[in-house]
Amino acid sequence: MVVKCEDVLREISNYFEGDLDPALKRALDDHFAQCARCRSVRDGMRNVIELYGDKSMFPLPAGFYPQLHDRLADQVEGQRGTRRAWLVSVGVTGALAASALLAAAIDRFVPRPRSEMSQPARRLPQRLVAVVDGGKMFHVPGCPFMHGKYHLVTPEEAVREGYAPCNRCMYEALRSAGNVSLDFEGEEAASNESEGK
Amino acid sequence: MRNRDWSEAEATSAPQTGPGREHEAALIGRIQRGERELFYELIRPYERRVFVIAFAILRNEADAQDAVQDAFLKAFKYLSQFRHESRFSTWLIQVAINEARLRQRKSHLEIMRPIENQENEDGTYTPRDFADWREIPLEVLERKEVREKLVAALGSLAQKYREVFVLRDVEHMSIEDTAQTLGISAGAVKTRLLRARLMLRDLLAPGLGGIWAGHSQVPKGTKPWS
Repeated sequence: MVVKCEDVLREISNYFEGDLDPALKRALDDHFAQCARCRSVRDGMRNVIELYGDKSMFPLPAGFYPQLHDRLADQVEGQRGTRRAWLVSVGVTGALAASALLAAAIDRFVPRPRSEMSQPARRLPQRLVAVVDGGKMFHVPGCPFMHGKYHLVTPEEAVREGYAPCNRCMYEALRSAGNVSLDFEGEEAASNESEGK
Repeated sequence: MRNRDWSEAEATSAPQTGPGREHEAALIGRIQRGERELFYELIRPYERRVFVIAFAILRNEADAQDAVQDAFLKAFKYLSQFRHESRFSTWLIQVAINEARLRQRKSHLEIMRPIENQENEDGTYTPRDFADWREIPLEVLERKEVREKLVAALGSLAQKYREVFVLRDVEHMSIEDTAQTLGISAGAVKTRLLRARLMLRDLLAPGLGGIWAGHSQVPKGTKPWS
């Protein structure tokens, strides 16, 4: 088989690919032995392929790996953030649910005060107290501000039933028993002042 | 030759068949099931390859680096859509090429494309230089100015030639994989590869055939980049 220079130019790339049948390759080799121009094409192409094919031809820029990994880590961090946000939301939901359960339990075991305007009892006398049927306060028996039919209960029982202490009689009873703090007196004084008493 | 850094040294060649590819498929499965950190291991063999391809398209290191990062982020984001119908490497490089092309269009670089882009691919390319060549030792690549000339010569080719040349001759992908990655026929790959090699040979002949290699047979003023 005899090949011409134009055949070489057409097949030279396949020659380096090893993509020629043996007869054609032998014919090209014979041609190279005789043709300096085609030899120049072959040798130049071989150099091109070998030089560009070397890994050191395209060195990676400085900081390539750290920057790439930082950027990817940001994304992963974002995913972690989402996971963290999910955990937080689960935690908050759990806390709210626990709060609701606690409120329900409190509501169940600590009845609402009968008078929303009254302060709940902070200290209790060591004696039975009187509660008036249909009333909202518990009193020292005989309190002048107590009207109607009453019955006696323990202070704890009165609190549990939602009764509030009578500001007047109960305050006096606790103070005489030495069971009232200065704070309480201060609050009381402030309260009296605000009422113009 | 220059010392490679640890990342390059550790980066193994891309798995094409056998256990390597099975390991890769297993990795992808685990990542898809939530072990996201394994993504680093999955892309490690391809980091350099993706950069070189992006650089070949964009011809600018900083842009290429940005494109690489965006490509890997997209690959991470859309990994769940990878269906193993092609090699992961093929899919990943397609993502990178698309990202680089997109970035190129955005920066209007196509108006700066070389004149060869407008040439008819079917036309026969005739070499211009027939000076004697001797074997060029790879050590010349240690010289920064030589590498820059080579990069400039590659950058002066039309993009369709650069893409084929880089995938085949720089990254040593097979003709078939190159064709699949670029969505063209194997015949088109061979045609473009032939022209790219011949054009680069002509562009580099004055330097590599003479001055850079230590002997001067070429008249001054014939360097295509001067």
